[in-house]
Amino acid sequence: MKTDKLIDMLSRGVEPAEKPRWKRKLAITLLVGLVVGAVLVTIGLGVRPDIGAARMPVMWKTLFSAAAAVVILPLALQLMRPGRPLGWRIGAVVIFFALCALATIVALMGEMPERRWEAWMGGAAFPWCVVLIPVIAAPTAALLVWLLRAFAPTRLTMTGAAIGALSGGVGAMAYAMYCPTDSVAFVTTWYSLAIAVCAALGALIVSKFLRW
Amino acid sequence: MADEAELRALVLKGLAGDEAAHRAFLTEAAALLRAFFRNRLRSRPEDAEDLVQETLVALHTRRDSYDPQYPLTAWMYAIARYRLIDFLRRAGRRNHASLDGIDVGEVDPVYEATDAKHDVSVLLGQLPEKQRKAIQLVKLEEKSVRDAAAETGLTESDIKISIHRGLKTLMRLMAGEGAA
Repeated sequence: MKTDKLIDMLSRGVEPAEKPRWKRKLAITLLVGLVVGAVLVTIGLGVRPDIGAARMPVMWKTLFSAAAAVVILPLALQLMRPGRPLGWRIGAVVIFFALCALATIVALMGEMPERRWEAWMGGAAFPWCVVLIPVIAAPTAALLVWLLRAFAPTRLTMTGAAIGALSGGVGAMAYAMYCPTDSVAFVTTWYSLAIAVCAALGALIVSKFLRW
Repeated sequence: MADEAELRALVLKGLAGDEAAHRAFLTEAAALLRAFFRNRLRSRPEDAEDLVQETLVALHTRRDSYDPQYPLTAWMYAIARYRLIDFLRRAGRRNHASLDGIDVGEVDPVYEATDAKHDVSVLLGQLPEKQRKAIQLVKLEEKSVRDAAAETGLTESDIKISIHRGLKTLMRLMAGEGAA
């Protein structure tokens, strides 16, 4: 078929384009992902038994995770459509995680030197959230991939990373219901790292599913 | 050739349902895309035309991803660049599979400029029946959506959705997927 004929075919009987309502669709997807993540945590890990007494720490860890997701959101939204500038949206993510690093240092400086290691590691041998948050984030990432079939990302590796990080933030919100460690330095370090792991997995794996 | 402001005006009218404007945009875009792809695939003009057609279908099916507050050409070339990268990745894989160079092929000297290697009308035949029929009736036989709905017994919105999905599938077929 000649290109002219193809153009005829494409334009014939063209209809007014529907308003895509990206933001609403994205909001619904993230909400569903959060609910699925919360169910996973409840069934797979169990809500921490002292959740009544630990309302405040659970709340601030959830808010921290939500803040991370909110900071990544504008970047992800730009990457989902072709040819959008990223500009300050990258800066926002960089500043957020720089502040996390700063908060970690300040919090650890406030501890007695012999207690620093424990505050940083949360008394555990290994910060399991680095593994568990990506697992809980996986359903959100899958839902976002499904949503993105209607979008048109053109920088797949970066989009995959942004989607991974965004899912990581949502996953961390759900994980906070289980997470038994409440020290500031623990959360600013290992939650951030967990989200970074989600971003890396997103760049490597999720990006493969974004081809169109 | 049209500049940013003209192209943008055409796309916006097209998004509002103006067929002539949409056709004019695709025609202008085809010329720009041809220059873009030929510049980057100097030795393979037939591949360039494949990509022009593939990108036109992409621009059409994803036209709602354009937001008027951003430059139109940035949107258009972002899609073109993505089609090119996807093409090169595919070509890389193909060449890997056939190291003996079976893929090289001879260059046709009387090759016609706006003919692509793949034939869209053949690819249309590979679409699922419902999508193929909807495109056939409305896009090729120039019937109205209402007539096509009456003829197939589908609803009008079913016809529209089938056309949209069919064109998206078509672009993937043009990109050589599912044709294995």
